[in-house]
Amino acid sequence: MKTAPLNIGVRTLFYMILAVFVVIQVYPIFWVIISSFKTQAEVMSSAPYSLPGSFYLGNYVSMLQNSQIPTYFMNSSIVAVLTLFFTIVIGAPAAFAIEKMKFGAGNQVLAFFLLGIMIPIFVTLLPMFQIYNALGLRNTFTSLILPQVGFNLPICIYLYSGFMRYVPNSLIESAHLDGAGSFKIFTSIILPMSKNTTITIITFNFIFIWNEFIFANTFMTSSSMKTLPLGLKDFVGLYGFTDWGATYAAITVTILPTLLIYFILNKSVIEGMAAGAVKS
Amino acid sequence: MTSNKRIEPWLFVLPALLVFLFTVIVPIIWSFTYSLYEWNGIGDKRFIGIDNYTRMLTDNVFITSFKNNLIFTGLGTVVQIVIGMTMAVILTSITKFRNFIKVIYFIPCVISSMAISQIFSKMLSINPEGVVNATLGAVGLDSLKAAFLSDPNLTLIIVTLVDAYKFCAIYMVIYYAAFLAISNDIIEASVIDGCNWWQQYIYMRFPLIKGIFFITVVMLVSGTLKGFDVPYILTNGGPGASSELVSTYMYKVAFNSVNYGYGSAIAVFLVIECLLIVTLIRKLISKVDVEA
Repeated sequence: MKTAPLNIGVRTLFYMILAVFVVIQVYPIFWVIISSFKTQAEVMSSAPYSLPGSFYLGNYVSMLQNSQIPTYFMNSSIVAVLTLFFTIVIGAPAAFAIEKMKFGAGNQVLAFFLLGIMIPIFVTLLPMFQIYNALGLRNTFTSLILPQVGFNLPICIYLYSGFMRYVPNSLIESAHLDGAGSFKIFTSIILPMSKNTTITIITFNFIFIWNEFIFANTFMTSSSMKTLPLGLKDFVGLYGFTDWGATYAAITVTILPTLLIYFILNKSVIEGMAAGAVKS
Repeated sequence: MTSNKRIEPWLFVLPALLVFLFTVIVPIIWSFTYSLYEWNGIGDKRFIGIDNYTRMLTDNVFITSFKNNLIFTGLGTVVQIVIGMTMAVILTSITKFRNFIKVIYFIPCVISSMAISQIFSKMLSINPEGVVNATLGAVGLDSLKAAFLSDPNLTLIIVTLVDAYKFCAIYMVIYYAAFLAISNDIIEASVIDGCNWWQQYIYMRFPLIKGIFFITVVMLVSGTLKGFDVPYILTNGGPGASSELVSTYMYKVAFNSVNYGYGSAIAVFLVIECLLIVTLIRKLISKVDVEA
């Protein structure tokens, strides 16, 4: 018995409020996806809330032919994979050192990283822009990967150290007695044990990276290097007023990967985003 | 051996520390230095002390964007708390489809602000007519039809609501998890004592999640003070400065007007503003906590 019993009237009212909220929340997404299957004639003449008459794929064809969306898709994927890789590869050992290596300054180092969660990224844009300009790094993947690794590290280290804190010290001590060095213990015991934390970090960070706008908008000006959010902006700028069908198709394509990952791994996505939010 | 042991942890944290220093900490210090200069990025820098900061006081666009930001923060915080809490309370009270509804409701959180802004820009369009105006027409409310995104009286409210739309589900998830974490014994005892549903919330559940609730207030205020994506993409701060926020104005000053000194000063202002308000809220909360 988890709740006090509710009478049937109140319960019905609850389901009705719920239905209204859920419809408002989901409709815009549903609408853009179904609208992407409308023919040009349907987009022009039928009411915008009507359903398409058939499963028309022409918008996708013209969107793929007339734009660099496939390039943007590729760029976004490269940035996401490399950012995640570097975040994990340098974040996990840091958390291990902080929690499990008898590290005198461990707590201070953790607190220092957690400062990063409070920092608005705007304050770093101009100096980074200057540095990248001087080093010729604008319009390179590095210019997007580096700052995103930097800003994702605090939450990554926070989540890893939250998990590793509860790994029993006796496990590490006995591995030491067996002659394993710290690096070996980290790679063959701690990292495999942290698998769930790694999955959580990867899934919710993937969503942030895939959706990232400000760094890309600031550092990527060459159209061959743009990521999907920026590319979508360009596409809408070019075709948004003439070809609405293709615009809907383009929007749908950009949101598909995150939706897919979300539906497969929604538990870790929700957990990660909620934990990340609470910490900030 | 001992000195080796002492150095070893540093080797593990060094890569992370270097990247973090280079991409987060150094640029902050750098920004602060820029803010004391007049500089367009190419010519000579001229040291002008705090002139960039005093300039904010007389810059009407900045003052407008600051006021707008307060509305964006106040309204956004209230709307997201109300929606998140309502959803969490209902989810906790129903028995069927809980997880399904939670997962569905969370969808906007995983979609980019770019996609969401583009969707709403199409839905709110007047010419050609978007879903909202077409629906208003279809149900006979033609008088409510409007060019929503070019009406300076509406744009600030719209960007606030679209931003709230994108993020409110996070608060539902947080409150819902907090409700579920309350020990069953407490709730069962209250049922035995004859608490009805409403009393259960007023006397047990709301007080028990007070800590989490205060955390979400801090999160929302600091998050909305830094709000950028939706206003920048959906209305670009316009028309005029009607939906300009501090962050979007800072971006324009820095990258469109290429006024690096003044832009950095606004960015530093944003950092200090966030830290001050968050500290203030934390103080208020701990005071309330002690008194309660």
